[in-house]
Amino acid sequence: MLKKSKKANAEPKVSNSPVTMVDRTIIGDQIYIEGTIRGEEDLLIEGSVKGSIEMKANHLTVGSKGQVEAEVRAANVTISGKLEGNISATGRVEITKAADFNGEIKAKSISVEDGAYLKAVIELEREPTQKAVPLGKPEVKSPSVPTKEPLTLAGKDSKGN
Amino acid sequence: MAASARDLNQRDLNQHFGLEGYSSNVLKLFMEHLDQQPQSRLLDVGPVCQENIRFFASRVWKHYVCDLFIRLDRYLRKGDPVYQIWKDLDYQPESFDGILVWELADRLDEQDVNRLVTLCHSILKPGGMAVVMVMGDQIASSETRSFVVGQNYRIYLRPQLHLDLPLRGRQNRDVLSMMTPFIPAKSFICRPGFMEFLFRRG
Repeated sequence: MLKKSKKANAEPKVSNSPVTMVDRTIIGDQIYIEGTIRGEEDLLIEGSVKGSIEMKANHLTVGSKGQVEAEVRAANVTISGKLEGNISATGRVEITKAADFNGEIKAKSISVEDGAYLKAVIELEREPTQKAVPLGKPEVKSPSVPTKEPLTLAGKDSKGN
Repeated sequence: MAASARDLNQRDLNQHFGLEGYSSNVLKLFMEHLDQQPQSRLLDVGPVCQENIRFFASRVWKHYVCDLFIRLDRYLRKGDPVYQIWKDLDYQPESFDGILVWELADRLDEQDVNRLVTLCHSILKPGGMAVVMVMGDQIASSETRSFVVGQNYRIYLRPQLHLDLPLRGRQNRDVLSMMTPFIPAKSFICRPGFMEFLFRRG
């Protein structure tokens, strides 16, 4: 069984291979990986990854050059590049304005910057039910009976209540 | 005369537009409707807004976001046909209990508005609700803004300076006309002309 120590990775001498810096592994922008990535340290992807990524206790970052097509399980996820696939995070998902994301997100919390390119299905941990204070039963008007003055001032409905 | 949003901070902007503290009656009714659905599915067509994602995603079963504003912006910048944005609205018929259309219609020409309305009608479940907002003349601006939902359904405007979209300047009667396939359920106006509509699919 082959093993590679963290120390060996800490001072990389071979280019185009995953690099560990401090406690984070970096997949460089000239790297393409297809398959499953499992790990117990944080990961930054600047290259291309297709498959699945499982790092349930750690942080996955898709950098601005990263292109990922994968099912992702991680504690926290930050997206600044392109990610297509589903994310399951026990913690937070952060989507920056540089991100291009298409997929599903299940997470405890989420942050999204204005300008992110997003097509997503988002499921967050539900807050205790916060029912809206009823305004009364919505009045449904028949489309065949158009009203002359459909608009009212704020705080009042069309009957002035 | 409308001032440039670039010259105003967030607080000033909302004071300027007369929307500070405005609590959206339509959104309250909309959420009442969604609360009654066992596994509610909501679609927001953008612009992407963190506050709204948190607000709605924590209240519905599944919150779908498909930002058509940024897609429209990219196609316009490239000079590509606008109709390409509809390929991303590729959801199954009768998928959603509610759709937040916001002011997207005000950024589209007649042909694409018709396409938007037809698609929304198709992907909305029978009895489902759609929210449409329109800026009145006094606050209309070519600058695109997101409607940020705060506590107690208060609406705040936030400029989306990365978006450069045309403004068609539709009036309330235009909105009622374009939404013909839907049943108007409720409408409100807030000084100085910000209008909100709730439509229901029959």
